[in-house]
Amino acid sequence: MEKYDVIVIGAGFGGPVAAKKCADAGLRTLIVERSQMPGEKVVSGTYIPAQGFMLGPTWIREGNPPLERAAYGVKIHFIKGGEIYLSLGMTLPTPIAYGAYCRPMCTWLAEQAVKAGAELKTSTTAADVIKEGDYIKGIVTDEGEELRSEVLIDSEGLQNLLAIKAGIRKKYIPEAIELCLEYDFEMASADIEDIFAHHIEFHFAMPEEKIIAPLGQGSVVYLFPYRNSLHTCIGQFLKHEGKVVDTSKLIETYYENYFNTRRWKEVIGPKAKLRAKMWDTCPLYVGLFPEMHEMARCGNGIILIGDAAGFEDTASGAGIPNAWYSADLAADVAIEAVKAEDTSAAFLQKYDELWMAHPAILPSITYSGRRNLLKAQQDESLMVRLAWEQYFGPLSNAVPALSQMKPEDLAAFLPRV
Amino acid sequence: MGKKAIPGVEWVPGTGDFIKIVEESCNGCGDCVKVCLAKCFGLRQEKAYVKSLDNCFECAACWFICSENAIEFSWPKGGTGFRTEFG
Ligand SMILES: Cc1cc2nc3c(=O)[nH]c(=O)nc-3n(C[C@H](O)[C@H](O)[C@H](O)COP(=O)(O)OP(=O)(O)OC[C@H]3O[C@@H](n4cnc5c(N)ncnc54)[C@H](O)[C@@H]3O)c2cc1C
Ligand code: SF4
Ligand code: SF4
Repeated sequence: MEKYDVIVIGAGFGGPVAAKKCADAGLRTLIVERSQMPGEKVVSGTYIPAQGFMLGPTWIREGNPPLERAAYGVKIHFIKGGEIYLSLGMTLPTPIAYGAYCRPMCTWLAEQAVKAGAELKTSTTAADVIKEGDYIKGIVTDEGEELRSEVLIDSEGLQNLLAIKAGIRKKYIPEAIELCLEYDFEMASADIEDIFAHHIEFHFAMPEEKIIAPLGQGSVVYLFPYRNSLHTCIGQFLKHEGKVVDTSKLIETYYENYFNTRRWKEVIGPKAKLRAKMWDTCPLYVGLFPEMHEMARCGNGIILIGDAAGFEDTASGAGIPNAWYSADLAADVAIEAVKAEDTSAAFLQKYDELWMAHPAILPSITYSGRRNLLKAQQDESLMVRLAWEQYFGPLSNAVPALSQMKPEDLAAFLPRV
Repeated sequence: MGKKAIPGVEWVPGTGDFIKIVEESCNGCGDCVKVCLAKCFGLRQEKAYVKSLDNCFECAACWFICSENAIEFSWPKGGTGFRTEFG
């Protein structure tokens, strides 16, 4: 039976970051990933907010990760009668977020962990945990192999199957689960520059347009331009005010109507060639529901990070930065625990102190602005203001010190693309 | 390789029956049918059944929505199921 100091579940965005730190500290570390290549089962946005590079581990920004494109600003379009009737935009001198595809990005992160000495086992599903008394002592793979650990760092994502089996979490309630349908289009880089310049775009519409879920019941339409391609996403919560939503039909309808707006039909659509269609669920509001916010994030022999720990980003869509921050903090605690030969929940709860003291995590999961968006339905001016606050408020509030820096000084905290 | 009903995605066979309906618990509400974008479920005689998992993205929306805990959700066997380079 193989024995490790630390086993990390998942080579998505969070797992490899925890594994690298543990391996760097000399711990025998294993990452278990169910897909053939890291990141090929991760369906994300994906624009990684700049704060992730500023506050996350420095090796990410300094290591030349496979980023697609830097966005220097956001455009928000409001749609009425199939036309854009109002646009707001903001551009900053330094990037606000970086586009990336999940497979190359997660593969790169996992490679850094392997270079540090971690082992990576792909095509392997962790099917169960090993329980000994009150302690989690490792995992059982889908081949029935037992792999033992002192500390299990669980970055399984929002489904949390292992943490539920370990008895420390329950599944998220459907009111906090959004189903997101994404399209990926090929697009010439010249057209990307022409249409989007250096922005990413969010599109809002009043409910009767049936282009996006009513505010607060799903994400806005987002358009994420990359180097030679474009990503679009529309999301809708599974349940709202006690009623199960006809989610899949609604999402398809939203897309149909969105593709009928004038800008898509005349400007973007003719230049965009469909390449891929995919979807996943996404946790939102987890931090706002007390019953979920208060669930444990560690137990005897186990620490949860990223989406598995409820560190979605209700405020500004920074799930990836939160996965990185929590991975880094969990690794610190796991390293100490292994050295102290104490992996009890009481010892590992140091993790709770650390993430609560982090400048970005707690504010991001408890920000309540999103909830107010529900009220904004009746009032357009309120909608405009709240939409603005939602996207720009948290970005500058999260890190006041960094947001006050001069652009030329800020560049030192950012990756080059 | 698996079906190509959806562009940009490949399905590796050999997943096993990773989503199952527990018939005794199912109340036939049809919520799983409503949320699944891959149309994996059907209803017959007031019970849900798995039609096919061929285009399943392992998103677990069906499992999250079922109020009766009548859906058993696990991951496909390692290395199988959907893959994409465009996520
Ligand atoms: C549609 C969508 C858009 C998003 N957009 C953005 C965005 O633009 N910016 C942003 O910052 N965040 C975004 N997010 C959120 C972000 O993707 C997540 O917060 C982030 O991926 C969480 O990282 P994680 O490590 O917790 O989980 P994941 O990145 O999901 O990684 C989990 C990994 O574990 C593996 N795994 C799971 N269970 C097992 C098991 N039992 N055994 C072995 N392997 C297992 C999976 O295959 C996967 O590789 C978006 C999410 C969605 C769904
Ligand atoms: S959601 Fe659950 S109870 Fe309802 S039909 Fe589907 S399996 Fe049955
Ligand atoms: S996991 Fe998602 S795609 Fe698969 S059957 Fe359930 S709802 Fe459908």
